[in-house]
Parts: sequence; C-alpha cells; structure tokens
Amino acid sequence: MVEIVFLVPLFTGIVAFFLPRNFGRPLLVITGALHLFLSILLWIQRPEPLFKAYFAVAPEGLLSLLVISLLFFLISIYTTGYLKASNIKSEHIFTGSMLLFLSTMTMVTLSDHIMIMWIAIEATTLASAPLIYTHRTAASLEATWKYVLICSVGIAMALLGSVLITISMDVGNVDVPVSFSALTACAKDLDSMWLKAGFVFILVGYGTKMGLAPMHTWLPDAHSEAPSPASALLSGVLLNCAYLGIFKTNKIMCAAGLGDFSGSILMAFGLTSIIAAATFILKQTEYKRLLAYSSIENMGIIAFGTGLGGIGAYGAMICLIHHSLIKSSLFLTSGNILLGYGSRMIEGTGKLVKLMPKTFLAFFGGFVGISGFPPFGIFIGELFIIIGVFRTGHYVLAGIFILSLCVIFAGFANQVMKISFNSTNATTRLKEKTGMIWPQYALLLTSMVLSLWIPDTLYRTIIHAVTSIGGGF
Amino acid sequence: MIHPVDYILSLVLLSVLFSFGSSRLPALIKVLAFQGVVVSIVPLFIGHDLTGWGILFAMVTMTIRGIIIPFCIYLAIKKVAIHREVEPIIGYHASLLAGLGLIVAATYVSHKFDITSISTSTLLLPASITLLVAGMFLLMARRNAIAMVLGYIMMENGIYLVGTTFSVRARHIVEFGILLDVLAGVMIMAVILQNIKQKFDDVDTALLRTLKE
Repeated sequence: MVEIVFLVPLFTGIVAFFLPRNFGRPLLVITGALHLFLSILLWIQRPEPLFKAYFAVAPEGLLSLLVISLLFFLISIYTTGYLKASNIKSEHIFTGSMLLFLSTMTMVTLSDHIMIMWIAIEATTLASAPLIYTHRTAASLEATWKYVLICSVGIAMALLGSVLITISMDVGNVDVPVSFSALTACAKDLDSMWLKAGFVFILVGYGTKMGLAPMHTWLPDAHSEAPSPASALLSGVLLNCAYLGIFKTNKIMCAAGLGDFSGSILMAFGLTSIIAAATFILKQTEYKRLLAYSSIENMGIIAFGTGLGGIGAYGAMICLIHHSLIKSSLFLTSGNILLGYGSRMIEGTGKLVKLMPKTFLAFFGGFVGISGFPPFGIFIGELFIIIGVFRTGHYVLAGIFILSLCVIFAGFANQVMKISFNSTNATTRLKEKTGMIWPQYALLLTSMVLSLWIPDTLYRTIIHAVTSIGGGF
Repeated sequence: MIHPVDYILSLVLLSVLFSFGSSRLPALIKVLAFQGVVVSIVPLFIGHDLTGWGILFAMVTMTIRGIIIPFCIYLAIKKVAIHREVEPIIGYHASLLAGLGLIVAATYVSHKFDITSISTSTLLLPASITLLVAGMFLLMARRNAIAMVLGYIMMENGIYLVGTTFSVRARHIVEFGILLDVLAGVMIMAVILQNIKQKFDDVDTALLRTLKE
C-alpha cells in the first residue's frame, strides 16, 4: 500500500483549507512527521503498490522521496516560526497548498506510468501557484502568472513527448503497459526515431520545470517572490521532481542504446545553464534571486553529470541530494534575513555577523557548502563530475565547466561578504528563535555527515539508480 | 478514398484560420469552444473507440473542452469587463497569411513521417501540428493575457489530437486525469487573470515587465 504516502498529505491538505486561521501550523508539522515516518517505513519494507499499472517503487524515486520527506518535516518546523513572525493574510490557503504540494511531489516520486508522471508534475505546478502569490503584491502576481503560464506551456511539451513515446511503441509493434519500467525492459524494440523525438520534447518540457537555461526565466521570479519556506520547497525538491521525469526517460534511452544521443543533449543543456547562471549571478541585487540563480547552476551541473554517464552520473546523484539539503537551508535562512532587515535588496542588509550571529552561521555554512567546498557533499559530487569529464577526454568542456564554477563562486562570495560584513544603520527586527535556526543547522549537518559517511543501504540505492543510465565507477 | 475523420479535421483547420482572424475576445472564445467540441469527437470516427466507455469518455471530454473551459474564460472576461480587443503584435491579415502558410508547411512535414500503420487518415498529423504551432503563435503574437491562455488551450487540443492515434492503449482514467489537470490549470489562470485586472486595471502583458534581468 504505497499510495498512502501521498494520500495522507492530500487529505490533510484539503482539510487545512477549511480549518480556522492558526490550526494549520500544527497540522503542517504533524503531517510532516507522519510523512517522514511513512517514507522511512517504505524505505525499509519496500511494499508492493496497490495499483501496479500506475505506481512503482524505483531506486531513484526512493532517494527523492526520502529527501522530500526530511526536507518537508524540517521546513514545517521552520514554517511555524515564520508564520508567527510574518504577516500572511490567508494562512489557511498557504498551509493547504503546502500540503497539497507535498502530496503531488510524493506522487511524482512514486509514479511509474508515463502519463501519471505528467499528471503529477503538472499538479505540482498548480498546487504551488497559490504559494507564490501568498504576499498579494503586484510583483508576486507577475511571478505567479509567468510561473503558471511558462511551466504549463513547457509541461505541455512534455505531454507531447510522452505521446510520441507511445507512438514509438505503436510503430515498433510493442504491446506492453505504458510505464517506465516496462518500456525500459523492452526499449530495444521501440522505434528509435519517435523515441528520440519523444526524449527531446520531454527534456524541453520537464527541463522548463527543472530550470534549465534557456527555459529558466520563470525560476528567479518565482523563487524570489514566494515566502521563504515555499522557496525552499520549490528549490529543494520541486526541481528534483522535474529531474526525475528526465532521469526516467533517459533510462529508456540508455536501455535502447541511444544513451550517446540523450547524453550529449543533456550535457549541452547543462552547460548552457551553468554559463547562463554565471552571467546573471554577477549583477544580482537581491539575495533571493542570487540563490535562485545558484539553483539554475546546480541543476545545470546535475544535467551535465547525468549526460556524462559513468562516474559523472554518480556525482550528479550526490549533487542532487546535497543541493536539496543545502539550498533549502539557505532559502530558510534568507527568510530570517528578510524578516530581520525587511528588505529584499543586498543593499538593505549588512553586518549580519553582528546583528544575527546564529543566522550568519547558517548562511555562511550554506554558502560554503553550495560553492562546493569540503566538508559538504557538493564538493565530492562536482569532483566526480570533473574527473568524469577528463576521463572521457572532453577537455574544452571541462575548461568551460571549471571556469564557470569559479565565476559563480566569485560573484556569490562578493555578495555574501556584503551581506555579512558591510556597515549598515539597519537594526534587526527578528529574535533568533531556536525553531527558526535549528532546521537549517540540521540540514547542513545532514549534508556534512552524508559527505563523510554514506550508510550502506543509501549507497547501494544510489548505485542501483545510476547503473541504469550507464553510471557507476 | 477519403477517411471520414478527415471531414471533421478540415473543420479544425478552418477554426485555426478563424482564430487568427478574429480581433475580439468573445469571438475567439467561441472559435475555441467549437474547436474543443470537434477535437473531442475525433476518436469516435477513428473507429477503434466505439465501446460504451469510449463514447462516454468522448462526451465528458466534449463537455470539458467544448463547454466548461471556454465558459471559465468567458466568465473571467465578463467579470473583469476588460476591453475586448486581443491587442495583436502581428496584425490580423499577416496572421491569416501565416496560418495558411502554417497549414501548408504542416502538411508537407507530416508527409515525411510514415504513420500509415497507425492511422490511415491523411489530415490527422497535419491538423495536430497546425494546432500545436498555431497555439504557440497565439501565445507569442498577442499581448492580451486572455488570448495567451486561449493559445495554451489550442496547444493542448493539438496534443490531444496526436494522442487520439494511440487511444487504444491509454486507459480512459489516465486521459481523464490529464483533462482534469488542464481544466484546473485553466481555472487557476482565470483566477490570476482577475487578480491581474484588479491590480493593473488591464490584462495587457506589456504591464507585466517589472521582474526581469
């Protein structure tokens, strides 16, 4: 009975819409804890799904599910404090949408049928749209409009891609269920032309949602306008869900012997995103947009590593997990900064180290982690990808990759120094309560521990996931 | 011999030309409603879907695509009483010419693909490609936010048409899920449109330009 994992938040989400104003906060935490419990149970017991035609427990899905669950639980604790400190008018819509968002994302990780995957990913867009419009300003309205329109049109492309894959079944006279697992098993018989076309459309479609350049334009707006807990969810897990759609399609491509074709396209999109992020990150004036561009960079790195295969694919998986942990911690911390200074601009901040020392520690730790320094996991992931590029002999690509990472680090570091040490007249309006600090520390600590020691079952699941796309050592 | 479904599909092509030529929103919505009805009865004429469930599902699709979705948009423009022009970036005559060129190009392109093993209809693929590209054209060539939503719906209609070729396999429940997603998406867009109108007093997307690099 796998389906209960997404049915629980679906139910509580609907309930939350009808509860009075403050009842949503404990409900958020309780559902988060229950969801985490169910996910761990799922991880240990690996039960069979009730509707086998539509859902399945795949290794990459399990990994994402665990990350989603842990993140949501910690974010829900933070949200309780955040909602107390900030003034959000329609809180029941916010909490309800958060829970529905959790439910749809869980559904993405468990879906096996191609069309159910699409339905779930489109549903994440719809469930998260109200979150971006929480503050009811003109700018947030514009961000919501762009988000819904660009993502819906983009994801429509993925639907077309999914349909093209079913045509490849018809042309190749394959009669199996339209599920990722069944198609991977008989990928050789699918018609390669339609399959290739299907992959390209799916990559463009889900790539829009994942934030790959040049389809990333909605991402900085949506991430900066949404309230911080929602941005943390958007960046930490929503992007992973879209990546999962691409990953599973890439699995079919690799099984069909078209791994080179799909790999080179993934690498091209990945590198474009890294370069785009490097160009835009230098002139950012808002810190949440800065973090959003860093997400685009990391999604680019992940797509690049996935396309590379081999050791690079393993590195991409490591980056995926650690990016979620570190970036969501950074977005939560940016919520503290926003509440403390009351300004989105980097100019409006300063002396973070004096005014909010605990927040500073979380912010600086997150910055060190996301820029790829040890002892955080992104360092290991990026190192594996760079080794992978050199092994395959793409020296020019390696040069561009490393140079872009350096530029991004320089730009990011410059802004972080301004926020942390610039002199300012501003005073903080936020008391640093434990509930708004410890979730970030917990996330960073998890990343740190995981980079030094990976539990055996986790390691085997990662290896199991990446061998299907030609990854591994 | 002309496949019976080709008569219906020619109506789809006509609706594209009408939509490119219409300058007023209510007319555009009516064209889209007509297109939704026509597109949803196509599976019945392909011949492999004449079971009880197939007919029922076609009726449900027709209700949603032909009546509920257009009605949502119609309510949105009625409530906010927006001025009714679609505010073209590319003029109507040029749009019509582009539409004709598009149909020719789509027909040419679809001859390159050999799908005779799946369907014998000559117009199915050209009509789907035309709808897809025409939807994108409306998205880009009209500044009015409502016309953009209508462009998105037209794209969805095109994808549905491609999907009809394989509807033997797809379970109706899956297609129904897709349809619900589209419906919910359009409803959310309609809500955002009303909010845009209240905030900016217009739905001209030129006003939505503050967030950019």
